[in-house]
Amino acid sequence: MDIKGLLSDLQDFYALSFRGLLGIVRRPFYFKDAMIQMDYAGAGSLVIVFIVDLFVGMALSLQLSAELSSLGMKMYIGMIVGISVVRELGPVVTALVFTGRVGAGMASELGSMVLGHQVDTIRVFGFDPVKKLVVPRIVSSLIMLPALTVIGVAVSLLGGYYIAVFVSHQSGTFYWSSIRNILTMENVLAGAIKPFIFGYLISSICCYMGLSTKGGAVGLRQSTTMAVVMSIVMIIISDFLLTRVLLYVLGFSV
Amino acid sequence: MIVFDGVSFSYGSRSVLRGVHLSVGFHERVAVLGGSGEGKTTILRLILGLIKPDEGRVLIEGDDITGKSEEGLRDVRMKFSIVFQEGALFDSLDVKENVAYCLREYTSMSEEEIDARVREILGSVGVEQAIHLMPEELSGGMHRRVSIARSLALGTPKMFLYDEPTTGLDPVNADNICRLISDLSKDGRGFIMVTHKVSDALKVADRFIFLKDGSLLFDGDSRGLLHTDAPEIRMFVEEINYQGPGCR
Ligand SMILES: Nc1ncnc2c1ncn2[C@@H]1O[C@H](COP(=O)(O)OP(=O)(O)OP(=O)(O)O)[C@@H](O)[C@H]1O
Ligand SMILES: [Mg+2]
Repeated sequence: MDIKGLLSDLQDFYALSFRGLLGIVRRPFYFKDAMIQMDYAGAGSLVIVFIVDLFVGMALSLQLSAELSSLGMKMYIGMIVGISVVRELGPVVTALVFTGRVGAGMASELGSMVLGHQVDTIRVFGFDPVKKLVVPRIVSSLIMLPALTVIGVAVSLLGGYYIAVFVSHQSGTFYWSSIRNILTMENVLAGAIKPFIFGYLISSICCYMGLSTKGGAVGLRQSTTMAVVMSIVMIIISDFLLTRVLLYVLGFSV
Repeated sequence: MIVFDGVSFSYGSRSVLRGVHLSVGFHERVAVLGGSGEGKTTILRLILGLIKPDEGRVLIEGDDITGKSEEGLRDVRMKFSIVFQEGALFDSLDVKENVAYCLREYTSMSEEEIDARVREILGSVGVEQAIHLMPEELSGGMHRRVSIARSLALGTPKMFLYDEPTTGLDPVNADNICRLISDLSKDGRGFIMVTHKVSDALKVADRFIFLKDGSLLFDGDSRGLLHTDAPEIRMFVEEINYQGPGCR
């Protein structure tokens, strides 16, 4: 791809994601479309988020207990699982799952709407495709990804508990009390801001890629792949940057 | 009146139209013919302002739409009703919601009024029984009819635009769609029908435009089309066995 094309794509992307955000506070607002998207993104993703986060929590707890038992520090499992899940793994893993399930769906759905002239039809009928298609998806991601993340974190902690108590034979009460101890304002904030940023990134990247689909089935494959790849890369990079900023702002010393 | 004044258009480096001059009255029944990828759909998208020409101007009733915003184009688009290639029904909505799409936004009809109006329009194109089906459950012919119905929901336009309305249909269904197209323009409302099936074009249109390599290779009536010497057009014309007067 040439530099000029890349820059103009980037410019289009910024314009779209900005208009998408602006559309949340500007009329007209298509409430029904947003509800449909929320149902798809939220309720539809519940099971997979549940499974993935459960096993991530269990694996983490298992690894830690193997390593910590040789040091005689198994009682720290709860604390370390808690901190890693709340601040880091919960938000990131849930966002990656969300990308695979919801983001890919957004890109391919919008892409086939472009190819099938459905987006043209929306424009001919006098609707703004950004308002009608992009804003509802951004809104649903901004609401549903944080909600799923909360559920995912809880499930991960539960998975960690299962391993800590039934495999590693630690005290369950102690596990939960160390989790309670790490649920400080700082720790919770350090994790809770992320899903909003990730949700916005995923939905705007995937909508942009979907809407810029051209060239039949091959083009659809390309734009869906690009949507998922870009979202994953941006989640991981922005997670690092966010962590850096949040730790600084919230007063952690590294 | 639709006027193309030296319109050129390209997708990236692929040049589609090169300096096209064309004017079509709202009452004319025009068929735009040409091979795949010659830019037939592009012409319809230019008329509606969905894409902007690289060079030249598009005028609708003397009004230059080239520089208009989406907001300003709304009135221009309301003059037309378009049926896109393959129908372009919203496949997440059922037939009723597809047809009611604009009614819900632009009118304050009650649920009963919408239901009645949708049934009336669907009845007028002969697919009232499909009202609760999803687009993927429709046959090709019904799909086009519903699409035509949807484009009529807000009232009758000044001109109809059809993109390949008969492509992919069996001869009986194709003939029915032609008849519907003819009926809809009985009261002097014209249409532009894009197609690569000369036989269907001959049934409904009385002006024929042939696109080749980004310019108009032919512009005239059926007699001229059938007796032209241009080899590209002859290929198209010879493929048909013209069975006398069509369905008008
Ligand atoms: N969004 C797009 N981006 C890039 N190229 C495009 C795009 N849309 C169409 N083209 C190309 O422009 C050319 C003209 O397209 P157009 O859709 O107008 O052709 P057509 O005459 O309608 O063909 P068909 O009979 O296949 O529908 C084609 O070669 C097509 O590959
Ligand atoms: Mg076409």
